[in-house]
Amino acid sequence: MKRTLHNAIFTLTLGAMSTLSATHALANQADAIQVSDPYVREMPAGAFATASFMTLSNQSNQAIKLVKANSDVAKITELHTHTNDNGMMRMRQVPFFEVPANGQAELKPGGNHIMLISPTKTLKAGETATITLTFEDGSHKQIQAPVKSVMKMGGMDHSNHQHH
Amino acid sequence: MNTSQKTVKLGAIAIGILLLLFLLFSFLTEPSTNSPPPPKAISNEKPAGGNFTLTSVNGKQSLTDFKGKLVLLYFGYTYCPDICPTDLGNLAMAYRRLNEQEKSQVQILFVTVDPARDTATRMAEYTRYFDANMVGLTGSEQEIASVAKQYGVVYMKAPTPSNATTENKNYTVDHSAFTYIIDKTGVLQTQIPHAMSPAQIQQQIKTYLTP
Repeated sequence: MKRTLHNAIFTLTLGAMSTLSATHALANQADAIQVSDPYVREMPAGAFATASFMTLSNQSNQAIKLVKANSDVAKITELHTHTNDNGMMRMRQVPFFEVPANGQAELKPGGNHIMLISPTKTLKAGETATITLTFEDGSHKQIQAPVKSVMKMGGMDHSNHQHH
Repeated sequence: MNTSQKTVKLGAIAIGILLLLFLLFSFLTEPSTNSPPPPKAISNEKPAGGNFTLTSVNGKQSLTDFKGKLVLLYFGYTYCPDICPTDLGNLAMAYRRLNEQEKSQVQILFVTVDPARDTATRMAEYTRYFDANMVGLTGSEQEIASVAKQYGVVYMKAPTPSNATTENKNYTVDHSAFTYIIDKTGVLQTQIPHAMSPAQIQQQIKTYLTP
């Protein structure tokens, strides 16, 4: 009887220890995700929503799901995707973005994006939005996303037109 | 002999019934078509185009008012969080890279597919942001529908998200996202797809500006 109890305690302890070490080995999902080039698109006056884009890199051997985002600059923050259905652009809320194991998920215009709805103010270039990302295991990552103007992005070749 | 024939017959019937059941089952378990039917109106054929009259912040405005200019016509809405700012931004950037003489021959028009929310004032405010001499146009639901039909534009209110209330009017509009290039005589020349780069748009402008 005593022997059995002993065994049980031993097994339980071992179980607890292995669980702990497993948790430790994986760390949390937020730690395994690296965020690069985050930005929020500057909004035209009175716009009702804008979007945030970034690249998520997964440093772990398991796929990680981004399940939620929050921001200090918007009342509602949602994960959205676009599909181009034969020229028809459809935007839909999605429950998560999956970042493949040792891979990347790119949030970019016309594709997956974090939608900032009902902004608390008109976001202007030069400002910064704080965005908190929540992953499937409940871990968080806070990032600072600068607001950038759509008019200044990708437009590097002004020099071509100085001679007219 | 007789019994064996009977068995074969019974077997055939059984197989037949099984096959029927299988067909019925596969038919029943086919993915349900709850999603809206694909927009049929988006065709690869060039739409007819043509003149129209809508309302800007300065009153009634027709396509014919811009005769002598190359018109870049885009349909969208100001609550559009991503697609429209991307396309309008690219159009605006292409426009801003033109020289003064070219600029005087080019006009960007932005027509709303969400007239319920996009007033002429709101359209003016929104287009001003892009700093490309853009004109924003709205109209009645019927007027917009008729212009959209002329240009093969398809749009429909997306299913209302759960967080939408009458107060925040939080709905989005699915829409086709082409830019229509109309020559100086008002004839629709071509449509260019979503997410063309400013450089590509500029190339198109130059092509159609050259007589």
